[in-house]
Amino acid sequence: MHQQQDLILDERWFRMVGREIEKAAKSSAGSADKTHHFGRLQFFPRLEVRQNFPEWLRIVIYIGSLIIGSVLAILVMSFAGIKPADLMQELTMLLFSGTRTWAAVLAQTAPLIIAGLATAVAFRANFWNVGLEGQMILGTIFASFIAIYDIGPESLRLPLMALAAMVGGVVWIAPAGFLKFKLGINEVITTLLMNYIAFNLLLHLLFGPWKDPVSGFPHSQQFDLAERLPGLGWENLSFALPMALLFVVVIWWVFSFSRVGYLLNFVSSNPNMAKAVGVPVLGLSVAAIIMSGAIGGMTGFTIATGVEFRMTKDFFSGFLFSGVLIAFLGRNHPLGVLVVALFMAMLVLLGQSLQVFYQVPFALIQLIQAIFIICVAASEFFLTYRMHWKRSK
Amino acid sequence: MIDFFINWIGIIPSFAAPFVLAALGLIICEKSGVLNLGAEGFMLIGALAGVGFSINGSSAMIALGFSAIAGSMLGLLFAVLVAGLRINHVISGLALVFLAQALTSLIATQNSWTNNAIYGLGPFFPDYFQKFPIIGKILFGHDLIIYLIPIFCLIVNYVMYRTALGLNLRSVGENPYSADAAGVNVTLYRFVAILVGGAFLGLAGGYLTVAVSKIWVDGVVGGRGWIAIALVIFARWGPWRALLGAILFGCIEALIPRVAATGFQVPQYFLLMTPYFATLGVMVWSAMRLKNDWSQPGSLGKHHIREERT
Repeated sequence: MHQQQDLILDERWFRMVGREIEKAAKSSAGSADKTHHFGRLQFFPRLEVRQNFPEWLRIVIYIGSLIIGSVLAILVMSFAGIKPADLMQELTMLLFSGTRTWAAVLAQTAPLIIAGLATAVAFRANFWNVGLEGQMILGTIFASFIAIYDIGPESLRLPLMALAAMVGGVVWIAPAGFLKFKLGINEVITTLLMNYIAFNLLLHLLFGPWKDPVSGFPHSQQFDLAERLPGLGWENLSFALPMALLFVVVIWWVFSFSRVGYLLNFVSSNPNMAKAVGVPVLGLSVAAIIMSGAIGGMTGFTIATGVEFRMTKDFFSGFLFSGVLIAFLGRNHPLGVLVVALFMAMLVLLGQSLQVFYQVPFALIQLIQAIFIICVAASEFFLTYRMHWKRSK
Repeated sequence: MIDFFINWIGIIPSFAAPFVLAALGLIICEKSGVLNLGAEGFMLIGALAGVGFSINGSSAMIALGFSAIAGSMLGLLFAVLVAGLRINHVISGLALVFLAQALTSLIATQNSWTNNAIYGLGPFFPDYFQKFPIIGKILFGHDLIIYLIPIFCLIVNYVMYRTALGLNLRSVGENPYSADAAGVNVTLYRFVAILVGGAFLGLAGGYLTVAVSKIWVDGVVGGRGWIAIALVIFARWGPWRALLGAILFGCIEALIPRVAATGFQVPQYFLLMTPYFATLGVMVWSAMRLKNDWSQPGSLGKHHIREERT
């Protein structure tokens, strides 16, 4: 299968050249017969692959798909019993009710940024990492291990936990990467199955050895003060937000300004060419996968130490979904991730208040997220192809 | 001990059935060159439709029919995305899973179908057949769908390998450009393959709730869609091999409640991990064993654009 792919990629270049020659021949020969055939429109358009497109077209199509997505979202909400007027009121409440809400939005944004980055880094390297939830769980389990058994001096506890979380995330993504590069096994399936295994491991720990000795509930004991992320001193914001921003800056630098990022772009756009000129393709991919796993583990760490202060049964739920959405809508760019994560946090808060005041389940918000993914994915069509409605002769 | 084996073998078919049905659906889809990673979503939609129609008074078989239709409806969306708009198969499959998870959870909560037990599908043969010693439970204790499954496999196998229709379908999956040149409508074939495959996947999900769990909880499919995708690779896209593989997975899954019932002191959650570990193991085995195997459709996951013809 891989060999075939190579062939097609190489042939694509020849075809491209061939088309250019054809186009040139056509434009010189066929300029005379500019007849219009209004009666010859076809039901399914003929498709032509665009060779290049202006940047404004990309932006227009992207915004257009977001608008269509919003219209569909409003329609779905009104089906679920929320009138557009009520929705507007909720939105204005969210946007203009003062610093408290904004602090809540920002607190929500931090883990979402990190989740989006974890996914985006893997997607950049053409590795479909949909095992974010598993990596979060393992990261949190590793970090909680440090916290529960009080390993290391208190002053070093938090860095140790962060390190453990990264190791946990890497441990959980490594098998999928290994299987992909060694045996060619589809990583979508392996990373997803690993999620289920991680979830069962988490339940085993929480209902078994790590059950809270104080309350007997299925969550771990509360972390000590030294094991929590320090607050920023403004509302309930924790240190997670600056950490997330630091991640954004670092990954932005890696992607856009460093040698590694340049080579990674090369690899993802034409792996064979990259291999042929001596770029260490395997090394770069492995580095990206490890980075993705480590950041995935950190996502769990920020939630456990910044929000919940313990390992709970469902701290990870929905993050896989949000991570893929944020990476995809942010076009796998760190700054895109930052912006989309902010909007996503607002959507999540909106969903929470709708849940309280209108008794609509939180799944509504996930449905809206799915609608946005589908709309933006579908919009890609208009960018890739030019449609010809007129029947060709 | 004999009791244990009889009970175990007796429940294997009901655990294997969703896997076979899903695998058949995936085989039809993937033989046409469409990589369907949305299996989990199709099964969820089918499962919810089965429960919903059962609660609203349909008989079990009619509810299952609606499961298949619901699977096809989602298939229609998938077909528009993948065969019509030619979106990346991976991202559309994932988006569909997300959509189905959210949609089913929303509909179930809004209509309070969650944790609402239904009557479900009972055994096909009358009670006195099951009173035969040993073979009663093993041979006659199942519902109608179980007895239909070999027929489904037969039909899919026949159509796929013995008819012109099947030949065209496989050629679309192997090399859509050659198929197009031979006068086969690639888009149409892929469209129909996704709809039929979606119906099978929906039926698989419906079977899960209507015949096995007889209740809806969010995420009732529990990764079986992903296992089915791995199973299809393991079965090298052959319907009969898929049946065998499904029975293997059925054995593993059926063992879990049986072992728990005998009172063995195995940590419960490690037991629940076994199907996923088995799937990973099976994928590794297939990848190592079948390195030079050509049964995978040659253009799986690739688009066909006529003007890009080579």
